[in-house]
Amino acid sequence: MRRRQLIALVRKDLRLELRTRETIVAMVLFAIVMLAILQFGFGTRDDDLTRFVGGLMWVTLAFTAVLGVGRSYVAEREQRVLDGLLVAPVPRTVMLAAKSIAIFLYMTAVEIVVIPLVGIFFVKGPYWDSIGWIAIAAVLANICIALSGTLFSGLALFTRARDLILPVLFLPALVPVVIAGAGATHAVAGGPHDMGEWRGYCLFLLAYAILFALVSVATYDAVFDD
Amino acid sequence: MIWGVLATILVVVSTIGVFLVAPEDADQGIIQRIFYFHVAIAIASLVAFAVACVAGILFLRTRKERWDDVGEASIRIGLLFAVLVVITGSIWAKASWGTWWVWSDPRLVTYLIVVLIYAAYFVLRSSAEDDRKMRYSAIYAIAGFASVPLSFYSVRVAESFVHPVVFTSGGAAMPSSMLWWFVVSQVAMIALFIALLEVDLLGRRSERALRRLAMRLESA
Repeated sequence: MRRRQLIALVRKDLRLELRTRETIVAMVLFAIVMLAILQFGFGTRDDDLTRFVGGLMWVTLAFTAVLGVGRSYVAEREQRVLDGLLVAPVPRTVMLAAKSIAIFLYMTAVEIVVIPLVGIFFVKGPYWDSIGWIAIAAVLANICIALSGTLFSGLALFTRARDLILPVLFLPALVPVVIAGAGATHAVAGGPHDMGEWRGYCLFLLAYAILFALVSVATYDAVFDD
Repeated sequence: MIWGVLATILVVVSTIGVFLVAPEDADQGIIQRIFYFHVAIAIASLVAFAVACVAGILFLRTRKERWDDVGEASIRIGLLFAVLVVITGSIWAKASWGTWWVWSDPRLVTYLIVVLIYAAYFVLRSSAEDDRKMRYSAIYAIAGFASVPLSFYSVRVAESFVHPVVFTSGGAAMPSSMLWWFVVSQVAMIALFIALLEVDLLGRRSERALRRLAMRLESA
């Protein structure tokens, strides 16, 4: 029963996105613009930015995540889908899981473009042999982003100035994910792999995901307790 | 009131002890004395955030307004302490390493993140209303407290410490005369937190009582 509800809710989000293609296209474009802005922000036209590649990638992904997470409840709110969902006999944890899966998939779609693009734009040394390791770190980071993003976007949903509130709530909580994502990327990109450091950051991301899963499951009922 | 008196006595005693009695650090000189307050308020701020987290859990369970009061007051005081940690840490950094800010110092960076996390609590509070305000605040106090250890560990994975590590798993790396005054400072700061919390809660209760009285007078 719960599995069917979960699949139905995820399919609803994906179908809506596939019909309008509003969120993912905007997220990908935003990420590319961010990468260009960050490059110009350095003030030099340096071709090899391998040293900063982790930061460039994860700052871009963090801001893109804020954009995507902010959009994730718009349809529900504007078309009153949320009212229907809240009166339906759907456990809040299923709603949490469904929204987290949708955000996870949005982020994955963005990363399919961003991770190779970062290599093309900024790395002149070896990069492509480490793309698998970066992808694993990205998957773990996406779980963190999806869980914390679902919780914080739920909190921001009915506040005044919600578009402003979400980044203020969400970005400080994302700082550890940015640190770990950038650290894991830096450990394997563009030179000799430091697998010990990569493993440390990935384990940290796993711990973050587990902790936020527990907090989200414990508190999500209260978010929509109206 | 008892906590207020106790906190005042302890703060005075610890200030005298730290500046006049505790031995001077042979390596760092007088600036090392900032450690007694810096570390003590850092720990006191974590206690405050832990109290806010527990108050958040109790609010979600009981929906009693007083737990919301305890949560908000604790975070207000904890945030003030955390800002002081960053400021005293920055002063210490200037004296020890010649620069106001050191990104390779994990503790200082962690506290900056902690300040940002808890500053957002008040933005959320001011943007929600009534029941939602209390509910969201409670949820955020719990999520915020979960973020604190994550922030601590995230900046430590790379292990590039420049911060003096005083408390290790092997015990405290300082002579007992220093440790004694540190314990006094620590107890003073926690007593100060409790005293400030008490004053804050008393203020809220008085305000509510005054409002009730005003309404009664208006309707009479």
